Amino acid sequence: MIRTRIAVAGAVALLALAGCTDDGPASTEAAPQPSVATSESAAPVDTSCQPRKSLQPTGTLPAPGKMPAGSYMAEIQKRGRLVLGTSQDTLLFSSRNPFTGKVEGFDVEMGRQIAKAIFGDPDKIQIKVIAYDKRVPDAADGTVDIVADTMTINCARWKLVNFSTVYYDAGQRVLVSTDSKAKSIEDLGGKKVCAAEGSTSLENIAKVAAKPVPVGLPGFTDCLVAFQQNQVDAISTDDVILAGLAAQDPYAKVVGDRFTEEPYGMAMSNEHPEFTRFVNQVLAQNQANGTWKATYDKWLGGQFGPAPKPPVAEYK
Amino acid sequence: MSTAQLDRPKSVPVDVPPGRRGAIRRLGELRETSPGRLQLILAFLLTLGLLTGLVAGLTANAAGSGTDDLGSRAQPLLVEAETIYSALADADTTAAQAFLAGGLEPAALTQRYDDDLNQATTALTSAARRTPEGGATAAAIRELASGTAQYAALVATARANNRQGLPVGSSYLSAASELNRNTLLVQAQALFRTAQDEVDAGYGDARSSWWVTLLVLLLAGLLIALLLVQRRLSRMTHRTFNVPLVAATVVTAILALTAGGILTAQRAHLHSADVDGSTPVALLAEVRILALRERGDEALTLAAHGSGGAYETDFQSVAKRLDGANGLLDKAAAAVSGNAADAVQNARVRHDDYVAVHTKVRQLDDGGDFDGAVKLAIGSATSATFTAFTGDVGNALTDHKATFTDEIGSAGNGLGLLIVLGPLLALVVCALAFAGIRTRLEEYR
Repeated sequence: MIRTRIAVAGAVALLALAGCTDDGPASTEAAPQPSVATSESAAPVDTSCQPRKSLQPTGTLPAPGKMPAGSYMAEIQKRGRLVLGTSQDTLLFSSRNPFTGKVEGFDVEMGRQIAKAIFGDPDKIQIKVIAYDKRVPDAADGTVDIVADTMTINCARWKLVNFSTVYYDAGQRVLVSTDSKAKSIEDLGGKKVCAAEGSTSLENIAKVAAKPVPVGLPGFTDCLVAFQQNQVDAISTDDVILAGLAAQDPYAKVVGDRFTEEPYGMAMSNEHPEFTRFVNQVLAQNQANGTWKATYDKWLGGQFGPAPKPPVAEYK
Repeated sequence: MSTAQLDRPKSVPVDVPPGRRGAIRRLGELRETSPGRLQLILAFLLTLGLLTGLVAGLTANAAGSGTDDLGSRAQPLLVEAETIYSALADADTTAAQAFLAGGLEPAALTQRYDDDLNQATTALTSAARRTPEGGATAAAIRELASGTAQYAALVATARANNRQGLPVGSSYLSAASELNRNTLLVQAQALFRTAQDEVDAGYGDARSSWWVTLLVLLLAGLLIALLLVQRRLSRMTHRTFNVPLVAATVVTAILALTAGGILTAQRAHLHSADVDGSTPVALLAEVRILALRERGDEALTLAAHGSGGAYETDFQSVAKRLDGANGLLDKAAAAVSGNAADAVQNARVRHDDYVAVHTKVRQLDDGGDFDGAVKLAIGSATSATFTAFTGDVGNALTDHKATFTDEIGSAGNGLGLLIVLGPLLALVVCALAFAGIRTRLEEYR
């Protein structure tokens, strides 16, 4: 299997510089779609697939506590808890509340909604804090059931894991100190710009034409520590994460326009496509019944104002 | 063979200055006559006597300053190195536990952290006083001092952020913890090892084995020489005893007995100081260091919230080093005596209790009950078990530190006396030998 996957990936890369099979080759169900060849512009970004498109839900959503036999959801139900992989330092999305010691935020809420759909009880969840560079491997090998951790959906990752439909649209910007003259990341040539190791943000910094120096640290709050100690000049990642950082430091400001698009999805092992379909169905249901909006208002409304329309779910 | 002989010049001119040749000849001539021989014997005895006195003084001086250095510098430095390490490790564990507790950190933990930092800086200051400028030890202490200041600043920032409910506080704490574990504790451990080496070297200096051997040889030589001279004189003069020489022999014997007694006692006390002091102190110190590391690993595993596998692995290997077969607790139990033996026995039982609780903590956490695991880990029952364990180890440590101080004090006894007495008695021996042989010499006038 693995050899096939490497062979496929290699052939596609040779033909089209980059390739993406939408479904994991390990999936027994969906046949791999033909990869879409891109132009010869040789961008290092893997743009061959359509990352926003996930698996189409089938049938109706099973009632909580009554997961279909043989499905991965039934396995989770038997275990008694959903294992969610996330971070504990992304304010608003998933951070440890210093007052209570609990990890909470928009991402955690997404996980809790899945737990609620499986068990009827959002508290049947085990939060596992994982490093940013562990998100893909931990989801792929089943260390955690699902990852909800400000994770950008892209083709490179689609090769290793399944993503849900988009549950939040973010974009990368840059955070500098209030006395900085920089108007965007293009003004930071040669300056040290920090992002979490294993994040797309770090890769994106390296691609900026002005050539800032990317600095990788384990988490984004570690970047804030380095920023406050003058070890780095700026932090660049998704606007929502930056908002959470800026909220903790009155001497920091977020500048420039979004220079990337970062659609967030939940990642799961591609060995259980039925679980991805189930998650997509839960997301669709919660977008329709106003749960998504309520969650947005609760966690992000204070920073970003009233909730926009939820991202439109796209299926293959 | 024969060619070599043939090649040789017939006469060999000896290139000796006339004066020296005269002296050698005179010495040779001295051996020809009885008074000459007596003069030679006298010179030999006087030289040997003076040399013995000198070496006795120097030996006592070397052993005395070695013992002094061991007691007032090397061993206290070892104890301080242990304090620095333990205090820093405990500060790290305490900070991690306060973080786990959530909310405003408990006052007791804040107090404990402050005490730890106080202890560490106090020990650093006094260790710096004991260390000569410019050595590796001094460099390690300087780095530790500046690192500790940096560490304290990071923790203070973490606290300030925590008070405002900002998650960045926990990142400051993990930066502080990283500095502590990866830099400060490593340096403290190196300092501990250096101090241990210095203690070992200190025992060598205190024993001054080369000096003692030389002194024994000289004393034996002097005694034998005195006896031989007396035998020769009694044969020559048909008098059984030469009273001054007999007195000289007795004084030499007294010197030998005094020096032997003092040095033997010193060595016995040094041995006790080593076996009942330094060795158990070093072992117990290491036990405490490792136990604190276990507790820290536990807190950090939980603080990592699911990705702390490396800490748990470290916990297991440290626990094995402590209570595994022929582990440190075994060695410590074999090394301690008296009250400390009971304390170590208790410590072993409590360590087992603590490891059992830790296993439970891991089961809870791995089973998905993170809150339950945290509650159990930092709960008062577990803290009490662990504190009782380190308390036992601390009691045993105090016991053996006292033993060391006693023994090293006793080891220094009499060495100061020997510094004066050694040369003095040797001078008396010389004077008596001179008196004894001069009366014989005068018979030839």
